[in-house]
Amino acid sequence: MLYDLRRADARVKWLVSCLLATLGLGYLFGSWMVGLFSGFTPNSVAVTFASPEMQMAMPPTSTMVMEHPMTLQEFGAQEHYTVDRTLLVQDTHVHVPIYGIIAAALSLVVLGLDLTRRWGYALITLLFAAPWFDFAGMWLTKLVSSGFAVLTVAGGWAMGLAYTIVTGVALWQMWRPTPGGMP
Amino acid sequence: MRQLLASAVAAALLHISPTVILVKRPDAVKQLLPGADRFLARELHLSAHDAHRLHEVVDWSPEDGVLTFFVGKEAGKDVGTLEFVRVDTPHGPLEVAVGFTPERTVRGVIVTKATVETKPWVLAALAAGLCERYRGLKPGDAPAGAAAIKAQVGELPDYMGQQVDKGVTRALVAYRDFYR
Repeated sequence: MLYDLRRADARVKWLVSCLLATLGLGYLFGSWMVGLFSGFTPNSVAVTFASPEMQMAMPPTSTMVMEHPMTLQEFGAQEHYTVDRTLLVQDTHVHVPIYGIIAAALSLVVLGLDLTRRWGYALITLLFAAPWFDFAGMWLTKLVSSGFAVLTVAGGWAMGLAYTIVTGVALWQMWRPTPGGMP
Repeated sequence: MRQLLASAVAAALLHISPTVILVKRPDAVKQLLPGADRFLARELHLSAHDAHRLHEVVDWSPEDGVLTFFVGKEAGKDVGTLEFVRVDTPHGPLEVAVGFTPERTVRGVIVTKATVETKPWVLAALAAGLCERYRGLKPGDAPAGAAAIKAQVGELPDYMGQQVDKGVTRALVAYRDFYR
């Protein structure tokens, strides 16, 4: 172990606990926002990110006109929040570095836990792989097939799972009551 | 460490504010295509040449290269045409609905979407009568709604007015060049 959170100064434990609580709050509101603007099922994620360009990846040689009837209700159905390629570029640029920083912060916590090396590797990999899957899913849904939305859903849940494991183990190891009375 | 901090600050500054629906699309359709009982979506999949031309004129490419006009009909007769145009701003996107009469003049303009951040500025611009300034415009005209309300609003509602002007300009040019 590089350092041991169980034996760290109480102030360090408090710092780590505050960090985990703050990230947890961020994740909670992140989930709420996903629920509001995209949804948690592969279908709703596909609607958010997939493009008509999937049917027509290259622009036609001359402008083509297609006409189809619509109902008033269908105008309402089009309210679903969608992310076009430009916005996805911006989102990726903004979110990926931050996800990296969060994964790094949680990985530093993992390094201070009493875990086998294998578990350490697994958790650190999961922390970084989850956002990779999340954004890979968004891009593949947009550029290749809406079936890849399942990757984004898996990435999102993996982020939540990784955070929950790290937080649960860290809080338990830092603050569990010990026979001597002090954590 | 400095790079990490810089990334965090950049992310905080650039984070996109969530979209807020000001007017639901079906309600905008009812207002801008009054009496219509049948609707058609006319989708123009723009060629590279046409997309480039449109981009050169109004600095805009419709989402995914598809320009959509919504046509309203009442008992088989044209009621008008409607476009939803998106304008990206540093504070998040706006969506502007622009309705045309069968005589090819602007029947009305409605801002349908803003963001959490821009909503108060947009509402201030709307309260100053921004959208009334567009009625009757013809496809070749240049909208000047922002200039008309400038004296009554602050800097940010004025800026939002300019963005709505931009959306209306895009709709006018697209309608002039592509709607037959």
